Amino acid sequence: MIRTILVQTKRELGAILFSPIAYVLLTCFALLHGFSFTLCVEAMQQGVKNVTIMFIFFNWFFFWFALILFVPILTMRLFSEEFKSGTVEPLLTAPVSEWDVVIAKFTAAFLFYVLLWVPSALFYTIYQFLTGHVTPVQWGPLFLGYAMVLLIGAFYISIGLFASSLTRNQVVAAVLAFAGIALLFFCSFLGFFTVNPQLEELVNYISSLNHMRLFANGTFDSRPVILYLSGAVLFLFLTERALAGRRLKN
Amino acid sequence: MIDVKNLVKKYAGQTAVQGISFAVNRGEVVGFLGPNGAGKSTTMRILTGFLPATSGEVSVAGLDLLENSREVRRKVGYMPENVPLYMDMRVREYVEYRAALKGIRGRGLRNRVSDALARCGITDVSRKMIGALSRGYRQRVGLADAIVHEPELLILDEPTAGLDPNQIRAVRDLIKELGKDRTILLSTHILPEVEMVCSRAIIINRGRIEASDTLENLSKRVRSGSLFLELKVAGAEAKAALEALPDVGQVDIRGEADGWVQLECLAKPGKDVRRTVDELIKDKRWPLGEFRYAKPTLEDVFVELTQE
Repeated sequence: MIRTILVQTKRELGAILFSPIAYVLLTCFALLHGFSFTLCVEAMQQGVKNVTIMFIFFNWFFFWFALILFVPILTMRLFSEEFKSGTVEPLLTAPVSEWDVVIAKFTAAFLFYVLLWVPSALFYTIYQFLTGHVTPVQWGPLFLGYAMVLLIGAFYISIGLFASSLTRNQVVAAVLAFAGIALLFFCSFLGFFTVNPQLEELVNYISSLNHMRLFANGTFDSRPVILYLSGAVLFLFLTERALAGRRLKN
Repeated sequence: MIDVKNLVKKYAGQTAVQGISFAVNRGEVVGFLGPNGAGKSTTMRILTGFLPATSGEVSVAGLDLLENSREVRRKVGYMPENVPLYMDMRVREYVEYRAALKGIRGRGLRNRVSDALARCGITDVSRKMIGALSRGYRQRVGLADAIVHEPELLILDEPTAGLDPNQIRAVRDLIKELGKDRTILLSTHILPEVEMVCSRAIIINRGRIEASDTLENLSKRVRSGSLFLELKVAGAEAKAALEALPDVGQVDIRGEADGWVQLECLAKPGKDVRRTVDELIKDKRWPLGEFRYAKPTLEDVFVELTQE
């Protein structure tokens, strides 16, 4: 039911934008990335060769730090708040399906996530303008880098949404999401510690670090795309099941 | 309108509703009565499709709840206990959102919302934040939400809980008004409310239906009214004489002073002893100070049916 989803998405987006968390996130995200970008420019001046500034930006630890930390904060209230305040009852007794609600909440969180990244794109635009376009825009890495940002974001948000559907306590939801996302991310580093070739292959397949390095370099690979999209769908499905199961439990 | 057969709801290890059956006809305003924890809210949550039943059949507006959950939800207006609302929305914005969620589109939406706001008397606060409203106003926002899609059936879970007397009166009047052209099932444990608003009551206790009847029949069923007497005679003598009458159940001495005795005389269920008592008094030539008959209240019925 597209109309229902649209109505609910609008409501969810309103709820996100009304909460003070949204503005704390937007501000901190912009500040953090502004600082990070400045350091990237600095690094370029130190004479880093053969990479674009966006490559450094996307692979800088600031980038990952912000992503892993901020997504759980963005997603924690999505369901937990409704459980706690009881508003889930009017919501689910309206003629809507669980899927409508799950998709609407996911979409709203994702749209806000996109908004979080807008300042960073502005940094780059300003940088190009100020430097008088000394380096031509490398559309491939730029486009693919941001595509990877959105893909990883969609996956992480779906994990956060699932965590939020498990508890009425927002802090618990945030911690669960953080644990899940961090666990997945830090698997990227397992490659350094293993000599087992099969495990190494697996780690390479799921390593977000590798994916980002690849995409920010302008190389497209369909495997991570499938990984993140199917991961997101899986967690959305789990969320829908959790929501339906909650009815059975209470 | 509502047809419930052998409804059972089990929570982990507990049975909240133990095989109840009842029906609510179109146009009725039915009060759902019971002590806290009796299973009222659980039953209502099942009727509105929020909770699945463990077993049993429920049909609402002629549709099976399991098979047509969404269609049923479209026809039902529900106000949950404690009226959970989004505190970060404005009144009109919230009701418009709810109307859209319930499938009302286009030009009709604004009119219906305005109508619902007006009926609930919240047009003047329509631009206020819900979080800034008093409890009474929030309750009315909940009602506006419940009626905005013009449902055939309204299910209201404790619509007057937590309100001050003026607000209770306002909400009650509103329910009476709404009851003129639709079916309403409302739960409460305020008994005068049922007497004022409802045409029929269903009394539920520990997951079972104890009684379901019109208020008048309920009153008759449990016990008859009390006869309050004041006589100038020794208490023990009067008590003995009254208790000797055929239909008198119980006689209590409520006080004795200056040779007058106050008695409460209770007839056996379904019996009226006014006439025989009157004859007895005339016969004995006892001076009579008071002769007053009080109908049993719903409260008496409720206590009788739901006590251990």
